[in-house]
Amino acid sequence: MVKRDDVLKIAKLAMLYIEEEEIESWIFDMNKLIGFADTIKSVEDDELEDFDDISNIVNAFHEDEVVKSLDRELVLKSRDGGEDGYFIIKRERNNRGYL
Amino acid sequence: MKRLSNIKHLNNLLKTKQISCTELTKRYLTEIEKENKTLNAYVRITQDAALLAAKRVDEKIAKGEELMPLEGIPMTLKDNISTKNIETTCCSKMLEEYIPVYDATVWEILQNQNAVLLGKTNMDEFAMGSTNETSIFGGALNPHDTTRVAGGSSGGVASAVAGNIAVYGLGSDTGGSIRQPASFCGLVGLKPTYGAVSRYGLIACASSFDQIGPITSSVEDAAIVYDAISLYDKKDATSCGKRCNAQSTLENSIKGMKVGILNEYFEGVSDDVKEAVDKALNAFEKLGVQIVKINIPEMEYTLPVYYILACAEISSNMGRYDGICYGYTTPKYNDTTDMIFKTRSEGFGREVKRRILFGTYVLSAERYDSYYKKAWKLRGSIIKSFKAAFADCDVILAPTVPDTAYETNFTLSDLADNYLSNICTALANLTGLPAVSMPCGFDQKGLPIGIQIIGDKFEDAKILNAAYQYEKLTHDTIYKSKEIGVML
Repeated sequence: MVKRDDVLKIAKLAMLYIEEEEIESWIFDMNKLIGFADTIKSVEDDELEDFDDISNIVNAFHEDEVVKSLDRELVLKSRDGGEDGYFIIKRERNNRGYL
Repeated sequence: MKRLSNIKHLNNLLKTKQISCTELTKRYLTEIEKENKTLNAYVRITQDAALLAAKRVDEKIAKGEELMPLEGIPMTLKDNISTKNIETTCCSKMLEEYIPVYDATVWEILQNQNAVLLGKTNMDEFAMGSTNETSIFGGALNPHDTTRVAGGSSGGVASAVAGNIAVYGLGSDTGGSIRQPASFCGLVGLKPTYGAVSRYGLIACASSFDQIGPITSSVEDAAIVYDAISLYDKKDATSCGKRCNAQSTLENSIKGMKVGILNEYFEGVSDDVKEAVDKALNAFEKLGVQIVKINIPEMEYTLPVYYILACAEISSNMGRYDGICYGYTTPKYNDTTDMIFKTRSEGFGREVKRRILFGTYVLSAERYDSYYKKAWKLRGSIIKSFKAAFADCDVILAPTVPDTAYETNFTLSDLADNYLSNICTALANLTGLPAVSMPCGFDQKGLPIGIQIIGDKFEDAKILNAAYQYEKLTHDTIYKSKEIGVML
């Protein structure tokens, strides 16, 4: 069972704000899903073997060729063209100075 | 009732100059304008690009050049398949106005065949949902009954094809998102083997489950599209490419084929669905197949394992949306951390947040072993059990969805019930197996019912062969469509 603090902790890890009035509904939803997921608890761990991947795919390495990368101007277009070829975000200051 | 268009027929009309590609495209665009107001299948129409592609095809025809199978055929793409210079939103506020700077490999392949893209179609937000109603554009409706949903998450593609305002479309299937809407709309939906079709450019939902595939009006069309898009792609590390040509084996007899039945698949399905699937089994027996019972001991764990692993992957994949490089950014914020939190909180809808939170929970340090790691091992056991089952049968037959299309704004009373609606489809994603859904009848309200055929890895051609033979035997009783869309 998760409680208020658990939901807030998970939300912080997921980088989501949760409004005060939403907390109860999130606790309800999370407990429903956790109850559903708990079905697998009836399986003994030592009955299970490790497994690698779903398609038995082996790493297929290719030559390390230098290819044309995405056009910087085109990429920055989604952010008003950026500045000097870079994305712009607000400067953030912590107690050690600017990040 | 009219029959829906099919690829070969249209290809022939173009080749024999009975209609020009420009005329054909214009007819589809006109019908979209009329029908889309009701169906809400398309979220974006790409008229100029469509007419340009059509012109190229007409020039080829005028020069007497051969047409490729998909050349000039009007089609659509789900709005999570990246299209360079064409907005691709995943029907989420988070990607509103996002214009990709590269094409998905499947779209690159289709462009090389001069496919005519009519527009991008509606979907549940980031492919999370089974009704289409988590889309920011509102859900796509079902042409068989517009008071009902087209299904999800590739509901827009299904709505467009069933309404004949697209000949075929590509969707993506993470837990049934191609097959469930195909079933709800009386169409064929193919989820290829994991790795058979490149995922490069598909905006990720849960990467080890996602697979691109076609939604079409016939099995033959599904085989034509599958053969075209199933190519090795070095840009997708999990790409394996084609292991078979599906069209060449469609006509093969399926006499003697062993069809496996899992009892658990029939638990909880509605009476109408059960009756239709039983009838389909009888039809398969008429085709000379042998029905065998199979057993998967881990069946009861399938859905919890699916949701634990899929949500874990979702929470990780959704981490990229921070408002910095593309997509939505909150207009007011104090600092970078606040910007990321606000952007994500305002940009994602509730279903996406729910899966992110649950995924974060099962991946958190205290719960990783008891949920994620255990579910991953169970996935291995389930895959092994299916491998063993395929020693006793060639294909597995099951209902696609326990019920027919839901009414709009219908919410399953319990959250877990909502997820249980994926019980028949999620297994193929969990195991990476190919599965095709096709119509097998109608319920008492006249709504389509779907049946799915699941095959062993890279046996995509085999399931399409079985589906084609069944379709040939039962065509007149399992297909019908409304008098809407393009008349040809």
